Amino acid sequence: MTATSLIARKESGELLLSLRGLAWLMAVAVSLSLFGLLLVSNTELSLLDNAQVVYDMVGIVTALGGLLSLVVGIDAVAGERERGSLVPLLLTPVSRDAILAGKLGGVAIAWAVMYVLALPYLWAVGSTGQNLIQGMLVLAVVGSPVVLGFGFFGMILGSRLTSARAGLFTGLITLIASASPLLLGPSLRQSAIGRAFDAVNPFSAAVNAYDAVIIDSQTIASQWPHIAVAAVWIGLLLWLARSAFRRIAR
Amino acid sequence: MLIEIVGLRLALGGNPILHDVHLSLHEGEIYGLLGPNGAGKSTTIAAALGLLQPDAGQVRVLGKDPSVSAHEIYGALGVLPEQNGFYDWMSAEEYLAFFAALHGRHPGPSEMQQLAAAVGLAPRPRQAIGTYSLGMRQRLGLARALIAEPTVLVLDEPTNGLDPRGRREIHDILLGLAGRGVGILLCTHLLDDVDRLCRRVGIIVEGRTVTEGAIADLVRNEHRQVRFRLRLAGEPPSELAKDGHVSVVAHEGDWWIVDLDPAATPEAAWRELMFRGWPIAEIARESGGLEDLYLALTERRRHDRNFPDRPQGIR
Amino acid sequence: MKFATILLAIAIAFSATAASATSLSVDLRPAAENPTAPQMGDHLSFHSVIGNEGDTPINALVAWISLVQIDKGKEQPVDLEDWSAHKAVTTTSVPPHGTIQSDWPMRLIQAGHYRVVVSAVSRDGTRLVASPFVDFTVRQKPVVESQRVLPVALGIPMLIGVGMLWRRRRH
Repeated sequence: MTATSLIARKESGELLLSLRGLAWLMAVAVSLSLFGLLLVSNTELSLLDNAQVVYDMVGIVTALGGLLSLVVGIDAVAGERERGSLVPLLLTPVSRDAILAGKLGGVAIAWAVMYVLALPYLWAVGSTGQNLIQGMLVLAVVGSPVVLGFGFFGMILGSRLTSARAGLFTGLITLIASASPLLLGPSLRQSAIGRAFDAVNPFSAAVNAYDAVIIDSQTIASQWPHIAVAAVWIGLLLWLARSAFRRIAR
Repeated sequence: MLIEIVGLRLALGGNPILHDVHLSLHEGEIYGLLGPNGAGKSTTIAAALGLLQPDAGQVRVLGKDPSVSAHEIYGALGVLPEQNGFYDWMSAEEYLAFFAALHGRHPGPSEMQQLAAAVGLAPRPRQAIGTYSLGMRQRLGLARALIAEPTVLVLDEPTNGLDPRGRREIHDILLGLAGRGVGILLCTHLLDDVDRLCRRVGIIVEGRTVTEGAIADLVRNEHRQVRFRLRLAGEPPSELAKDGHVSVVAHEGDWWIVDLDPAATPEAAWRELMFRGWPIAEIARESGGLEDLYLALTERRRHDRNFPDRPQGIR
Repeated sequence: MKFATILLAIAIAFSATAASATSLSVDLRPAAENPTAPQMGDHLSFHSVIGNEGDTPINALVAWISLVQIDKGKEQPVDLEDWSAHKAVTTTSVPPHGTIQSDWPMRLIQAGHYRVVVSAVSRDGTRLVASPFVDFTVRQKPVVESQRVLPVALGIPMLIGVGMLWRRRRH
């Protein structure tokens, strides 16, 4: 087993075997459950509402996935630094890039776990509606790079800021700003500033792709401009994370 | 030489932390790095480990620049940092196996148990590290530092949180390692540990090495007499004010207060006194020696602007 | 003389438009393959026949479909945006005694009682011509079923909770 896979396995253990990681997963599951139970209480939904429900659920999974990745990313660097477990890892004969790759792998595993966790919820609320499978696929194709990008962003914050709390605060503000398309109405997004923000915001790219695929039944392949925005986002953050992680002193 | 630091200067965020640090660690030696809080000991160690880039001066570990060849050095290095954190959800065995694998080693269960036993750690296979006491965590940290059979050990407060028996056990381990040629850089506030383990020390004050060398030489050069309290089982053969390397200062019942000549080692002096018929029953250090030297140097640095910048004992 | 000419022109024009309006007919029937008790998500189709019963062609004809919800207390026109992409037909001319046949497919989006009607006008016509109503009922299909949501919404947090208890016991 390579050092990178060893570290990735260790990072996934932090999520799945530590009480802290399980508490995060519990928070995510409870949020999805609350949303599901909210829908059950509405008995007069139309078919269109059903597609909307899948769209909303996919959007919420992306937002929660971004939050989970952000927290995992910050904890993997700043959290470990505060707990004193980062320096022993940095002092092993493993290159910084390999350690970073292992930690990024941990973020990817966290998202994979959350994705698998979200599938039953999507099935439960959307199996009688339209485009459920396409919704799951577009979440994997467009949502994954956006979510992982937030994990990488968390690692950048964890590397550059001295405390995990400061990193978490900065990360949350950024996540909320980026996820504002979920909160803002369409009219606000149609303004010049809204359109410009949408063009560069990876979260908007994901939400627009979900809308096109789930509500309007377009193909995933036709969403390549949104996929491109998500790809640029993750590529940029990967490069920045590499640069920030190399500079960690202690 | 295992570690060599010459004229190290380093600033963090524009704030100068180290001005002129010198250090040399040889094979089989336990070197005590001393200094008050905030003196720059941890920064010195970080620079030696290649975690911080010096602004000036030279740092060599195993003959290599750690800021360039860090990963070659790390393979032969064992480190116990001051802030010693673990993955609390793992068991000790899982934890040590993880770090061993990162060093490219795959010790079997018996080897792992041997290592755990060597540091006085008898892990229950399924017990999570999160349940460990401070002392057990310290022992586990030492086991992690030893997992790669290092040539150089850098230990920051290794006996922190240990009871007297635990401290003594760690001392014995370190002396054993030094006996096998491992060089140990020991950073601690416990002067008793240094007294017992180290032959040479370096004292850093405000980012400068104010003295470096063999403890006996430094004490002698500073004319720091060591004062002991001796309990005698009977009367000494003579009431001389000075007997060999020992000067009698006072006499309180069974207890005799004596100053030891800085040039003499305590063991040799007591042997000589007993040979002369002193019925020594108990010996306790009153003051002086390394502790006095440390206090004098650190205090002097704080108050004396004209204190020489060039450390003593360094040529 | 001039006044008589104007009156004649008006009379001819009136008689011509009246003739074109009355010669237009629209018939609407549900397709034979429609399910008898449709529910949300099913597809229905309606067949319309627009005929020119007059002797002159009808030019620039537009026909469109309308859907109205007729549930008591919820009477309202329905936006067809999500129901059907086929909302209107146009033709440049319908020859005398000719017909235009159209199919109007739609997907049933929401439960309720509905009435569908096809209306037609021509450029020269003065009145709207509407088909007979066709009524249909869409049965409710539960889109978010508590039978599915509840086990998932309660089961997954419980599963994680069991994992936490197991880890806590180890600690």
